[in-house]
Amino acid sequence: MVKTSYMRLKGSQQFRQRLLLSTLSATPVIIEDIRPDDSWPGLRSHEISFLRLLEKITDDCVVEINETGTKLKYKPGVLMGGKHLMHDCGLSRSIGYFLEPLIVLGLFGKKPLMIRLKGITNDSKDPSVDTFRSTTFHMLKRFGVPSEGLNLKIESRGCPPQGGGEVVLSVPIIQNSLSAVTWIDEGMVKRIRGVTFSTRVSSQFEHSMRHAARGIFNRLLPDVNIETDHKSGPDAGSSPGYGISLVAETTSGCFISADTAVSYSRREDTDDIQDEEQEELTPPVDVGEQIASVLLGEVEQGGVVDSTHQGLLFLLCALCPQDVSKVRVGKLSPYAIETLRHIRDFLGIKFVIMPDPTTETVILKCVGCGLKNLSRKLS
Amino acid sequence: WKESLMERTVLRQTTNLMQLVYGKSTLKSTTSVAEEQGDGEDELSEDDDFFKPKGEGKKKLSEELDGDNVNVEDCSKLTNHTKLKKWKDQELIESIRDRFVTGDWSKAARRGQDSD
Repeated sequence: MVKTSYMRLKGSQQFRQRLLLSTLSATPVIIEDIRPDDSWPGLRSHEISFLRLLEKITDDCVVEINETGTKLKYKPGVLMGGKHLMHDCGLSRSIGYFLEPLIVLGLFGKKPLMIRLKGITNDSKDPSVDTFRSTTFHMLKRFGVPSEGLNLKIESRGCPPQGGGEVVLSVPIIQNSLSAVTWIDEGMVKRIRGVTFSTRVSSQFEHSMRHAARGIFNRLLPDVNIETDHKSGPDAGSSPGYGISLVAETTSGCFISADTAVSYSRREDTDDIQDEEQEELTPPVDVGEQIASVLLGEVEQGGVVDSTHQGLLFLLCALCPQDVSKVRVGKLSPYAIETLRHIRDFLGIKFVIMPDPTTETVILKCVGCGLKNLSRKLS
Repeated sequence: WKESLMERTVLRQTTNLMQLVYGKSTLKSTTSVAEEQGDGEDELSEDDDFFKPKGEGKKKLSEELDGDNVNVEDCSKLTNHTKLKKWKDQELIESIRDRFVTGDWSKAARRGQDSD
């Protein structure tokens, strides 16, 4: 493929997805016009941090950034993986931001990946570490990822703005390639599981969230079990916060998740386009009700995954061997649509997208690009 | 009820979902997407507008993202919780009853078959 020529892209959107696909498809990229008109132009600290992380898990990759940080040149290297790695994710985005691409990259490494990540474990922007354990990992298993070695250990939790959480992620490598799926039966919700957490606040907050969420579910389903995970002392990170992660399991083995966390906002973020975050925290009862509603909304959509996981689902389908994958999702999220476009640009794969009017869902079909774990072969 | 109307219109448009996502269409509604490979800002803004009408107000969105849309925040989670339905409402609860094991199993089975 293109070895010397760079693929040219613009803007900071889908930053992780672009670098991920660039790495997997060995396509060097140049990204220009990264926030040129912002009062703080160029790459954000979490994006720099992600580049550093890529340097850690790959060999021989080249990253060049211009003075203002508005232009990035990235030449991917060979995915190495490896044990006992450590990365400080910083405080501008949570660990979930890094986990999303990392769990895919890890699969195609030379050695299994084991990395300790420090930073924010739970916030409202990115999927929480609990959701990765309860939902995302199950999705990976569908695609033939071995369940041994796939693990995420939460050693301590950290909320914004100060963080202080720590997790250890292990991702196995796939021996050859993923396996294609036909995954269109979303089934019926048979149980709802979840976990609440609280750091540096009373554990009473958790009971309120739990109670409120249960109140909504119990009219639909008796089998609701929400655990609590109260952290105190050094395990609780440096900032107060509380939150909840819920997952609905269906009869056909689908996992639909929703999560959120509440804590005081980050100070530096204020120049971003962001809703004016009130410093008054949402009461736990409202948080519980809100997230239960989000979950029911996701269930109502009727896909095999929730809207947060659509992008990952399509990505995994595209990385499969040259077999047909068929999946059903609810309304396409903007992030998923961008993902589909990037998959086309990098891997040359177009999905066949068919709406299913009777159930108001969308069925997508594609033939995988047949990505093999090439790094492994070298060894 | 407004929302359901919106949903229905969106559904009607889904016949050309392929073109929506990938562009290359001559249909009126998707002309803006057609050139999305030529990575200009304005085209992107237009399809972004187009994709989100159900989730959030069109106007608000274009204002928010105008001119800055190639730098949309990289976030897989939809954090727009403003239009949450009131799930405490009994009717609404009944409307998704069949998505749960406590609902009508035969209906659910049919649902699965219809789409196969």
